[in-house]
Amino acid sequence: MENTNTNINIVAGPPKSVSQKLKDLGLYIGEHFLYLILVIVFIAPLVWMVLGSLREEKEIFANLYPFTIHTFLPIKWTINTYLDMFGISEVGIMYGLEFQKFMANSLFVSVCVVSCSLIFNTMGAYFFARLDFPFKNFLLIFVVATMLIPFQATIVPLYIVVKDLGMNNSFWGLIIPWFASPFVIFALAQFIKEIPKELDEAATIDGASLWGILWNVIIPNAIPGIITMALLEFQFIWNLFYWPLIVINSPDLQMIQVAIANQTTQTQIFWGRTFAGSTLASLPVIIVFLALQKWYIQGVATTGLKG
Amino acid sequence: MKQFRLIVSGLIMASLLLGACQPEVVEVIKEVPVEKIVEVEKIVEVDSNAQSLDADPDKNPVTLKFLALSDDDQLNAWREQLAEFQKIDGGKWSYVDLEFETIPFRELFPKIEASVAAGLPWDLYQADGPDMKHYGFNRVIFDMNDLFTAEEKAQWFPQSVEEGSFRGRLLGPPILQSCSLMMYNKDMTDAAGINPPAALADSWTMDEAMDAWVKTTLDNDGDGVPDQWGVRWGQGTWTGDYEAGIFRRSNGVKGSDTWKGMGDDGVTFRGFVDSDESVEAHQFYQDMHQKQKVTPVEAIPEIFESRISAFMITPDNRIGALNRIHGEGNFNWGVTGIPYFKTQVCHTGSWHYGISPNTENLAEAVAFVKYASSDDGARIFYKYVRQLPANIGLFNELPEYAEGGSQRLWLDAMNDFGIPRIGTPGYTEYQQMMSEALQNIQAGGDIPEILGATAGRIEGLVAKYTGWNN
Amino acid sequence: MTTVPISSTDKETSFLARLWSPRNRYYFIAFLFIFPALINFSIFRYLPIFAAARSSLWQYSLLGGYRDFIGLQHYENMMIDPYFWKSMKVTALFVLMKVPIQVVLSLVFAILLQKETKTSAVVRSAIFTPVVTSVVVVSIIWAMMYHSQLGLINSMLSAFGIPRQIFLSDPDRALPAMTAMMVWKDLGFSMIIIMAGLKGIPTVYREAAIVDGAKPWQIMRHITLPLLKRVLMFVVVTQTIFSFQNFVPVYVMTKGGPMDATKVIVYYIYQFGFLFQDMGYASAMSIVTLLILLVVSMIQMRLFRTDVEY
Repeated sequence: MENTNTNINIVAGPPKSVSQKLKDLGLYIGEHFLYLILVIVFIAPLVWMVLGSLREEKEIFANLYPFTIHTFLPIKWTINTYLDMFGISEVGIMYGLEFQKFMANSLFVSVCVVSCSLIFNTMGAYFFARLDFPFKNFLLIFVVATMLIPFQATIVPLYIVVKDLGMNNSFWGLIIPWFASPFVIFALAQFIKEIPKELDEAATIDGASLWGILWNVIIPNAIPGIITMALLEFQFIWNLFYWPLIVINSPDLQMIQVAIANQTTQTQIFWGRTFAGSTLASLPVIIVFLALQKWYIQGVATTGLKG
Repeated sequence: MKQFRLIVSGLIMASLLLGACQPEVVEVIKEVPVEKIVEVEKIVEVDSNAQSLDADPDKNPVTLKFLALSDDDQLNAWREQLAEFQKIDGGKWSYVDLEFETIPFRELFPKIEASVAAGLPWDLYQADGPDMKHYGFNRVIFDMNDLFTAEEKAQWFPQSVEEGSFRGRLLGPPILQSCSLMMYNKDMTDAAGINPPAALADSWTMDEAMDAWVKTTLDNDGDGVPDQWGVRWGQGTWTGDYEAGIFRRSNGVKGSDTWKGMGDDGVTFRGFVDSDESVEAHQFYQDMHQKQKVTPVEAIPEIFESRISAFMITPDNRIGALNRIHGEGNFNWGVTGIPYFKTQVCHTGSWHYGISPNTENLAEAVAFVKYASSDDGARIFYKYVRQLPANIGLFNELPEYAEGGSQRLWLDAMNDFGIPRIGTPGYTEYQQMMSEALQNIQAGGDIPEILGATAGRIEGLVAKYTGWNN
Repeated sequence: MTTVPISSTDKETSFLARLWSPRNRYYFIAFLFIFPALINFSIFRYLPIFAAARSSLWQYSLLGGYRDFIGLQHYENMMIDPYFWKSMKVTALFVLMKVPIQVVLSLVFAILLQKETKTSAVVRSAIFTPVVTSVVVVSIIWAMMYHSQLGLINSMLSAFGIPRQIFLSDPDRALPAMTAMMVWKDLGFSMIIIMAGLKGIPTVYREAAIVDGAKPWQIMRHITLPLLKRVLMFVVVTQTIFSFQNFVPVYVMTKGGPMDATKVIVYYIYQFGFLFQDMGYASAMSIVTLLILLVVSMIQMRLFRTDVEY
């Protein structure tokens, strides 16, 4: 706006002086130093957890202090805990541990919820973002208000509803109550509102129906938001604890977080298994997140407005 | 602004209207006249009339749903008990099966509450001793008093029977028992030149114990943080009444208010938890954390098992944990009596079999519970869990508890001075409040003020149970 | 005689025609989009909410069931319950500390890390990792890190010659310590939402601004932020709601202590509902929480009202 030099800088870039190069280098180092600190701060506690699952249980808390390399690194590495949890080792067989079953259950439930949720929530978000309807604002408040009450107060009434519908102690009871999410509808509505209206209008002139617009115009343009919400919804369901604890009675149908908590018995906590279980529970979501990063990038490439 | 006033008042109105309506759609309502709780006896009569207690051998397979703590040793024990149960009385119960639902300790009580509130049909549950009064008061447990003869009741510790009873009637028989003593890491005490007394009669007083704790609290590198701590008072990392309540009660002579812990009406706490003796005991407790610093203010998980604490107040179930973590016999432990002020005290902690009043398989549930709590059943249970049984008869055959046996001391303590925790339907309220109080005392709070306020708050919370034991 | 049926048919068709006017037909189709979600909310959210609202007018406990109808007694008790007000204060303080810090930090990181390089992908994933890790385990680990004697944080402080600090058992520091942990835990959550919002901003605007010679901070101030307003509103509103209902860390780390310094409202509700056998009172407090959050969210939405259309 004021001087055109900046413009030239960005577009062409004159030959850089030495001091400029040093400055850039300093900036580069500073930036990456900041990144390094960030990575350490954010994953150190979890690295401790992962390494805790790879050591013998007597080591876990014995080396907290004084702070040495062994606070993190195991003295004796072992994967026995994992073998136990998957029921491969002698101990695992004796106690009938089958962690893979709970992971599969959680995966099934999460995938089902996310699939349903993508369909119904995107429709709902489109409704709030684009369509005309009397009392639409009131309806939005009706939707958002469902998030406002503490779950502790509604969990038992919800359980009673689910039981009366005959869905307790089944995957239905884990899936159906969550197939629509006020959080996701509210979020996607914001993302869809950001999409330029001209696109819809152009499609309307071409004779597209509301469904057609949603499918051909809105969804492709809202991909970053939709993917983000799918991911957050996935981790929400994946990390459910109280709900499966209450609604499921057969151990065969139980979900992963309850299975981890079950490693706390009346008299002792199986710390190794607790850490191993949490590691196993975190990994899939991190993998999904890494896989979806591509989508973010792709999202811009395909949806960037042309003209 | 107008809009939201409208919506807010609309919502309030709607809730009020719905609230005033007789609840009918969603919830199962139990109309209980609050002033008089119907005699539990009557329920037994009604239920026993409705369902014959005799088994019908031609019956279809029956699966008993059992809500239990998550603990694989227990489950394996019950599985073997079931196999034996199916063989007794000429295979009369061979059609009975068990299905477990396991719940972590912390979530067991909420889970039972939710199941009760939803009217879920299930058969058996594992009930913590102090919670039995809750279940009795709210009539959510089947009263088994008349199903056991006086002789049968004598097969268990009287403390266990007391914990499983409500208003003098046995609601459910005990699964197992416990009592805390002071275990120690022998390598550490040897290194400090301490020899803890072997006989209960010679148990240390608190002051003597403090000497030992101070001697075993080591700060080798002199950085102000001990590399080895003196003591961990209690299992886990929180301050439950099971261990922490001993402090207070031990500072009263037998029969005194402080020793009793609560008024005879079961709802009075002022003058009991905040007596001068209690304040004195808690001063000692605070000093342990703040003055002598023999135990960390913020608890460390597995401090004793990880060999960073010399002493630990715990029941004999710790032995199993030590063997699991370090391998059988690799942890050099010893046990001595629990330190005391004026009176030796250990809190007993039994678990009980509870039968849900919603059960549709009463005869089978009762038969299984009777078998499981008998000496035969308890023997199997001990084989897996290896913790103090509640069946007195077993002590003749278990070498660990024989004279000179490694776990003998726990049995003697149980017999000599084991007392149940206070018995009131308000136990949960009491324990929560006391735990918060102890947390604050640990952190250095003003003791008389904290205890006084806590006693008042407990009384406020348990006022709803007034008259429960009349 | 024959005219009667004809006229009635006429009436019907005209009535149907009016009902099936293009406008109503549009409304009907539009409604189909939200219908499945509304069914879900009515059954699985509003029935339980109304059940809670109803039990707030009764003496009700989970084990004991419904006893007496007591009208607004619970609400009156609440007004004079000092611990309720204390919890509300603690909760409000927690939200006021956590939400602004979290939103600002996640905005900064979202902008810093939106570049499509390997480095930012790694840092992004690192920041997101705590989001997917069980909050129970995270709380246990942080309790150890905060430990007043052997915690990692104190080890680091003493390496710099700073005396050891008490965090979780100090009434003044426990809540800020918990806030720091929860910012750490939830940062990735709000960061990726904001990032998705950034990706949704058409690049033409930024390109146009660059061509016009705008400086980065000017692009930020005049283009990015205004276009992010809706997403930021969403993040602020939902994070306020979730933080207000913070429960597990309190349950695992401090049990509400010391001196009730971390006893947030949902922990207090949990105590009454599940431990103190008074679900009626717990429900009443939950309804009040709902109303407070309703007012707060509506104010926030109003403050963030967007006039930007493009």
